[in-house]
Amino acid sequence: MALTEDSLIRSIEEFAALHGEVDAETPLFSSGTLDSVAMLNLIMFVERETGTEIRAEDVTLENFDTAARILDFARKLAA
Amino acid sequence: MSANTLHELFAANLPQRSGKTFLIDAGRQATYGEVDALARAIGAHLAARGVGAGDRVLVQVRKGIAEVSALLGVTRAGAVLVDISTAWTAEQVRFVAEDCGASILIVEPAMARVLAAEGIDPARLLPVSAARGLEGLPCLSDLPALPFEALPRRADDLAAIIYTSGSTGKPKGVMLSHANVLAGARSVAEYLELAESDRLLSVLPYSFDYGFNQLTTMMLVGGSVVHQGVAMASEIVRAILRHEVTGLAAVPPLWIQIVRLLASAPTPLPSLRFITNSGGKIPLSTLERMPGIFAKARIFLMYGLTEAFRSTYLAPDRFAAKMGSIGQAIPGAEVFVIRHGEGVARPGEQGELVHRGPLVSQGYWNRPEATAEKIRPCPELRDRIGDEPVVYSGDIVRIDEDGDLWFVSRNDALIKTSGYRVSPDEVEDLVYRSGLAADVVAFGVQDDMLGQSVQVAVTLLGEASREALLAHCRAAMPAYMVPQRIHVWPEPMPRTASGKLSRPDVIRGCSDTSSLHSAR
Repeated sequence: MALTEDSLIRSIEEFAALHGEVDAETPLFSSGTLDSVAMLNLIMFVERETGTEIRAEDVTLENFDTAARILDFARKLAA
Repeated sequence: MSANTLHELFAANLPQRSGKTFLIDAGRQATYGEVDALARAIGAHLAARGVGAGDRVLVQVRKGIAEVSALLGVTRAGAVLVDISTAWTAEQVRFVAEDCGASILIVEPAMARVLAAEGIDPARLLPVSAARGLEGLPCLSDLPALPFEALPRRADDLAAIIYTSGSTGKPKGVMLSHANVLAGARSVAEYLELAESDRLLSVLPYSFDYGFNQLTTMMLVGGSVVHQGVAMASEIVRAILRHEVTGLAAVPPLWIQIVRLLASAPTPLPSLRFITNSGGKIPLSTLERMPGIFAKARIFLMYGLTEAFRSTYLAPDRFAAKMGSIGQAIPGAEVFVIRHGEGVARPGEQGELVHRGPLVSQGYWNRPEATAEKIRPCPELRDRIGDEPVVYSGDIVRIDEDGDLWFVSRNDALIKTSGYRVSPDEVEDLVYRSGLAADVVAFGVQDDMLGQSVQVAVTLLGEASREALLAHCRAAMPAYMVPQRIHVWPEPMPRTASGKLSRPDVIRGCSDTSSLHSAR
């Protein structure tokens, strides 16, 4: 799988214009840090890196609120 | 007696609604009376710190009761509200603070620390709660309850400055008078038919005039606002159900997400009686699904620019017949389609949309030249309104036989190719219809033979190929419109803070001859 913690965090930082402030556990959506635009970009990024399509019902805080959760979710998708 | 200022708009709800729920956060609710007390304490504190009539106070606080209390406290002290998005960086905060000469900055503790470290005098800072390293500073959550009379203001005094982050150059502050704010609240309350029983879901930031208007309309009618700080469709749907939300306002990127979710997981939303869109066009493929998904809710498509808040809306009963139209002038606004040098456009013709009326803002803070360019008398309207300044939208629209307007293009974006004038929006719409592209930006490039050649930048969907996209274009478009080059972007395209594709950045990216962008 092309998605790594590093590439994911770097993309998130780019989408949110936050440099050096995001780690694996930083709350992304529950904190209001990422908005709907960043959300769309993030979904597209993960879809591309995992080569899969993300179902709309799977876009939840549980699966997407931190980089760590996104990686876990992406691993399940790629499996 | 009718309110003349933002403070009076809020205060008119007291004492009769002091026990009524006004704001709902994830873990906390506040009545009109409770918010009044919080705002009074903040107003008193600001005044004690020397904030006076007309002074600017910057607010950058996460969506919630604290933010609204801060906004109301600022206006109560007679100051001008400058609310900016929590997505903005310290550098942007500092820019705005200096540009508008903010006396006080009400910010989240983390931002307070960064600003202090970057040289902002702590005496200018008012953190929302205790900031590490700045424990000596009073914070919003700890202010004493002190009596404080609101500073009287007039309708034509400044109420707020809305900073627009343009895709090029530094943000400019659009000045709104109290009269502007109230006219916006009254117009929208009228055409959305808002009432005391309404409970709006606030997802959009209060730094955005569209979002702020949700708050002011609710204050006008004595309704409630549910704060939803998480920009995720699943969370929004959950909040609508949990709080029996009656109205939802969103922008195209969010509508795309919400419609995707509800299409795959249909969920009745019995309390929702209306939804609104502004800030751009919803793609046709999403728009077409909306009536089926939001069976009961009336759909309002709206158009406006910050310099005049909002200009038009499409009446919901014409949504099906006029899908994609931006409709007609909202109550209190007059909208004209101007053919420069000729006059007012007739049915079937197109021209630039100009806006006249009480929503025309007071101009850009400290930018008299930019203001004079944007808000000025219209020679073609001299017979009707004399030299009254109007806002030039910079958008080309077409007016149809019924008086409904259709967005054609940005004034400066028309592509002139082989003697034809091509609208990039039209090219983009046709490319979207292929179902092969997620994002599309069409633009013109200098060409010796054609004048300009039509080119597009796209992010492809799924297994789509450039060849398939080109074949679609050849079938769907007149020959002169078919793109001469298709730039495939492997990365998501850059967007502005309000969710629109950042066209200049995309176009610039296409002219870089890097290996990222391959052409036909």
